Amino acid sequence: MLISRKWLSQYMDISGYTIEQLADKITAAGLEVEGIEVLASGTNLVIGEVLTCKPHPDSDHLSITEVDVKDEVLQIVCGAPNVRAGLKVIVAKVGAKLPELEIKKGSIRGVESNGMLCSLLELGVDAKSLTDEQKAGIEELDADAIVGESDVLAYLGLDDEVLDIGLTPNRNDCLAAFAMAKETGAILDTPVMLPSYEGAANGGDASKLVVKSETEKCPLYSGKIINQLTIKESPKWMQELLHSSGIKSINNVVDISNLVMLETGQPLHFFDLSKLEKQEIVVKDGLHETYTALDGNTYQLEPEDIVITINDKPVAIGGVMGGDDSKIDDDTTAILIETASFNHVSIRNTARRLNLNTDASIRYQKGIEPLAPYKAMDRAVQLLMEYADATGIEETKYSADIAYEDTAFDVNLQAINALLGLEISEQKAIDVLTRLDFNPTKRKGNIHVVIPSYRTDIKIEADIAEELVRLIGFDDLPSTLPLMPETEGKLNKRQQLRRLLRNTLCAQGLQEVVTYTLVSDELNNDAIMPQASNVAVASPMSEDRKIIRGSILPSMLSCIAYNKARSVKHVAFFEISEVYSNEDSEERLALAIQGDLQQNRHLHYEIKPDFYTMKGLVEALLEKLGYNASRVMIKENDVDTTHFHPYQSAAVYIGRDLLGIIGVIHPNMAKAYGVDTTVMAELKLEVILKNKTSKVKFEAISKYPHVVRDLAFVVDVKTPAGEIIKAIKTTGKNVIQDIEVFDDYRGEHVEEGKKSLAISITYQAKDHTLTDEEITNLYNGAKDIVNKKFDADLRG
Amino acid sequence: MEKLETLRQEGIAKIEACTSTKELQDVRVLYLGKKGPIQEVMKMMKDLSPEEKPKFGQQVNEIKQLLASKIEEKKVVLEEKEVNEKLVKEKIDITLSGLKPNLGNLHPLIMVQQELEDLFIGLGYEIAEGPEVELDLYNFERANIPKGHPARDMQDTFYIDADRLLRTHTTAVQMRVLEEKAPSLPIKVVCPGKVYRRDDDDATHSHQFTQLEGLVVGENIRLSDLKGTLELVAKKMFGDDKKIRFRPSYFQFTEPSVEVDVSCHICGGKGCPTCKGTGWIEILGAGMVHPNVLTMAGYDPNVCSGFAFGIGMERVALLKYGIDDIRHLYTNDVRFLKTFTRFE
Repeated sequence: MLISRKWLSQYMDISGYTIEQLADKITAAGLEVEGIEVLASGTNLVIGEVLTCKPHPDSDHLSITEVDVKDEVLQIVCGAPNVRAGLKVIVAKVGAKLPELEIKKGSIRGVESNGMLCSLLELGVDAKSLTDEQKAGIEELDADAIVGESDVLAYLGLDDEVLDIGLTPNRNDCLAAFAMAKETGAILDTPVMLPSYEGAANGGDASKLVVKSETEKCPLYSGKIINQLTIKESPKWMQELLHSSGIKSINNVVDISNLVMLETGQPLHFFDLSKLEKQEIVVKDGLHETYTALDGNTYQLEPEDIVITINDKPVAIGGVMGGDDSKIDDDTTAILIETASFNHVSIRNTARRLNLNTDASIRYQKGIEPLAPYKAMDRAVQLLMEYADATGIEETKYSADIAYEDTAFDVNLQAINALLGLEISEQKAIDVLTRLDFNPTKRKGNIHVVIPSYRTDIKIEADIAEELVRLIGFDDLPSTLPLMPETEGKLNKRQQLRRLLRNTLCAQGLQEVVTYTLVSDELNNDAIMPQASNVAVASPMSEDRKIIRGSILPSMLSCIAYNKARSVKHVAFFEISEVYSNEDSEERLALAIQGDLQQNRHLHYEIKPDFYTMKGLVEALLEKLGYNASRVMIKENDVDTTHFHPYQSAAVYIGRDLLGIIGVIHPNMAKAYGVDTTVMAELKLEVILKNKTSKVKFEAISKYPHVVRDLAFVVDVKTPAGEIIKAIKTTGKNVIQDIEVFDDYRGEHVEEGKKSLAISITYQAKDHTLTDEEITNLYNGAKDIVNKKFDADLRG
Repeated sequence: MEKLETLRQEGIAKIEACTSTKELQDVRVLYLGKKGPIQEVMKMMKDLSPEEKPKFGQQVNEIKQLLASKIEEKKVVLEEKEVNEKLVKEKIDITLSGLKPNLGNLHPLIMVQQELEDLFIGLGYEIAEGPEVELDLYNFERANIPKGHPARDMQDTFYIDADRLLRTHTTAVQMRVLEEKAPSLPIKVVCPGKVYRRDDDDATHSHQFTQLEGLVVGENIRLSDLKGTLELVAKKMFGDDKKIRFRPSYFQFTEPSVEVDVSCHICGGKGCPTCKGTGWIEILGAGMVHPNVLTMAGYDPNVCSGFAFGIGMERVALLKYGIDDIRHLYTNDVRFLKTFTRFE
C-alpha cells in the first residue's frame, strides 16, 4: 500500500510529524511501514530558460547553452537531444546534490560547464511513471514556468514523500486511502475529514440498462450510464496523487476510475458506451474462448473465469481486466460505470492462470468491504461531474438487492483486561474505540460497539482486545509467567533416543548435517530401503525439489561430493530425519564416512572408511542403547547390492526386524555421486524403538582368575569367522568369557582358497578357579568342534 | 700389611674409575666374588701366626665391607646417570601434533533447537511432534485459516493432493495436541520441527526451515504471561541483558497477535546495520490463541485462554552467529559446520 504525505494531508493535519515519525507511529500500531520513498530529490535546483544553444565544436551530440537562471546566466554543456533555445528547464547548479551525482564546475571537451540541465530520471523519479520522451531527454517545463524559481520539486509536484506499508491480510481495508486515513487519524489521535460524497450517485434519469448476474461468483453488479462527458487532462493534484501511488496519468476519466479505486479500495471499470453492442450486461462463467483484453494481449478464457458479456460476447474479464474493444479513448463521450463484487478465490485463480495481477485483481483477491461498490459509484459520479463535465446521468442499476447489516456486539472490559494482563480504564477504552469509529456506548457493564463496514476483521471481543492494546501500546504490559499447576517437562522415549544417538555419534567424530527433504527423482531413485511408493509435491518449484525423499543417504552423498569438490576429503556425517512413502513415514539415521574417521599421519594412525569401522560403530551404538551382540544379527546383504558393495556390506537385524544396511558404497554409486570410497549405513529408528532392550542390572564380577588359550587353524576361505565363534561358544557356555579372532591371514604359505585364523579364548568360571584338567578338556572340546564342523587344519 | 693397603687403594681406585653399572658389576665380581685379589690375599692367611690371623682376617673383612659399600654408593650414582642418559635419548618433539580425535558437533539448527527445548523442559513443557506431511485440516482449517482465506497466501504451500501438504508451520502440531488433550487442562508444549514453504532459496529465504512453536492453554493465561515467557527465550538465545518488545501483528490463529523484537545483541540497542539502526531485531511471532481455534479443538474460550508463539531456528542461528546466508545451513560444508562446537 502506497500513500503519500500529501495524500494524507488532504484529510488531516500531519504537519507536526516528520515522515519518519509518521512511519514509526503507523508501524507501532501494526501496519508496518516497509519503506519511505521520496518522489524526487535534489538540492541547488532552479528553473532556467535556455537563451542560446549551439553545437559543441568538438562533439557531434553535445550542445553549449547559455541559461538564464534570473540572477545570472550560466554556460552549461548539455547532451540531451531535445535541448533548444527558448526551452524552460530544470537547472542543477554547481554544488547541487542529485540522487546519484554531485554537480561540480568543470569543462567538457574543453568547454566550461557550470551546472547541468536535468531530466526527471536524474532527480530520482521512478522510470515507470515517465514517458519515453521524458526518459530520453531533459524535462521540458511549461512555457509559463517562472525563471529563477528555486523550489523546483514543489513546482513539479514531486515534493512528496510516500509511505510503503506492508498490510497484514486482516487489514486489507487499508488498501483504500480513505480507510488508511481513518486508521492514521486513530493512531495519531487526530480528527480526519474525508470528502463527503455519499449519495452522489443516487437518483438520475430513468435507464434502459439491464444488468444481470448468472453466477454466484458475482453477488452484486452495479452499472450506471453517463451519457455525456469530456475527455481532457486531469487536474494537477489528481495527476500528482496518482503519481505518488505509482499510477500514470492518462486522462481525466481514466484517472478518476483509478483515483476512486485508490480511495475506496473498490476497482471500477469504465466502458465506452458507444462501443457496447447493447445496454444489457450479463455476468457469467462457463465460457471457453479467446479474448483480447485492453492491454492488447489475447487470453484464453476458461469456464472458471467470471466474464462480463453482452450478447454472449465477453466485454471484460470480471475483476481482472476490461476489453480492448470497449476501452476509453480520446473520442469517448459516454460511459458505462461498473462497480461489482466478485468472489476473491475465483479472481485469484483467474489472475494466477492468466498471470494478470492488475490493480483490480489484486484488490479483489484481498477482499473488499461490502459497501465499497456503492461508495465507489458515489465518488466516481461526484468526480466525473466535477472534472469531466458529466451530464445525462442515469440511475444506477443493480443485479441484486443486498442488505447490509452493521456488525455490532458487546465486549466486557474486565475480560479483555484479564486476557491482556493490563488494566485499561473504561475511559481510555471508550476513547480508543471512538477514535476507531467503533461508536462505543456503555451498556449494562459492557461496552457496545458498532463496527464500520470496512473493518471486516472485527468480529469478537478478542479483536477489540487487540485494537485496544495496539493503539494504547505495549509499554505498560508487565512480564509475568503463567500461574498454573506444576507440570513435568520431559523428553519422550524417541526424543531421548535421538539425543543419545547424536551425543554418541558426535563423540565418535561424526558431524551432524541437515539436508533438504525435497529431492529430485534422480536422487530418490537411489533411495536405500525404499518403500512402496514415492510422495511427490503437486506442483514442484523445480525438478530438484520434487519428491519427499524416501531415504537420507543419497542427499548425504551429495553433501560429501560437495565437500570433496572443495578438497575436504575426510568427512564423517550423520543425519536423523523422517523419510516418506505414500503408505507411511518413518524416522531414520544415516551415517557416511569418506576418508579417515580418525587420523594422525606422523603417528601412522588412521581409522579407515571400511566395513569394519561402520560395523563397529553401529554395534557400539546398539550396545549403548541396550542391544547386546546376541540380539543383533549381521547377515549377508541380500537387500541392496546396487548401492552397496555386494561383498562388503551387511543387513543388520534386531531380532527379526531389518534395522538397516551397512557397508561400503558400490563403486558405480561412488562414481555416479563423485565420492571416494565411502562406508555408509541407513538405519530405521522405529526398529530400535519397538524392540525390547536388555535391562541395566548388576552382575557379580568373578573373583577367580581367567586363562587365555589360543587356537590357530586353516579353513576354507568362505567359512565365516562368526560361525566358528558361535560353535566354539557352545563348548563352554558358562565359562567362555570372550572369543576373539586376532588374525585372519590369506596368501603366501596358505593354500589357495583357504585362510588361516587365529583365535584366543578366555576361560573363567564364576564360582571357582578352573583346574588345568578342566581347561585342557575345554580347549580340546573347542579344537574338536572346529576340526569336525569346519574341516579345519589345526596348527600348534 | 702393605699388601692390604695396596689392595684397598687399588680397589677404591677401580671403583671410582667405573663409568657404567656394567663396569661396576665387573669390579664387584672381581673384588667380592670367589676369585679375585681379596681371595688371593685371604690365601696368605694360612702362613700367619695364630695371633696375627684374627687381626688379618678382620682387616680383610673391613676392606671387603668398605669396597662393598663404595660399590653401592657408586652404583646409585651410576644408575642415576644412566637413567638420565636414557631419558635424554627418549626426548620427543612435543610440538608435533597430538592424536587429536575428530569430534563431531550438532548441526547449528539442532543445537539451537535443543537449547530451546531444554529451556522449556525446565519450565515444565513437554516436547510434542507431528508429521511433516500434514493434513490441510490441521495445518490450515483448525488454525482458523479456511480454504480461500487470503491468509493462506502468507504461506505458499507445497500441496501433495487436495488434503495433504507439507506443513507450513508447526502450528499443525499444536492443533493436534489441542485435539488430543481437549478438554483437559493445562497444556504446556513446544513443537519443534521442519516446515516448508514455496520460497525460492536465496540468502534470506529457504523452502525448508525449522520452527519451534510453543502453546500454553489454561485458566487465566494472559498476554503478559507470553511476554514473561518470551523474555526467558530472548535471554537464553541472545544473553541475559536482553529485553523484548511487542508490536501488533496478525496471525489467523491468534488474537491479539504480536511480533516480538529483541534488543539488538550486536550494538546493545544503540542502532547498527544488523538492527537497521532501530536497536531492535524481530525474532518471532506470537499471540493469544484465537477463540475459534480453542472452540474447534473442543475447548470453551470462556473457561480457558492460551498463548502461542513460533520461533525460526534459522533466524536465531543467523542472528546469533552472524551467518550471512541461510543456505549455508543446508549446504553442509564441513568447514562451516565445524564452527559450531558449542552453544554460547
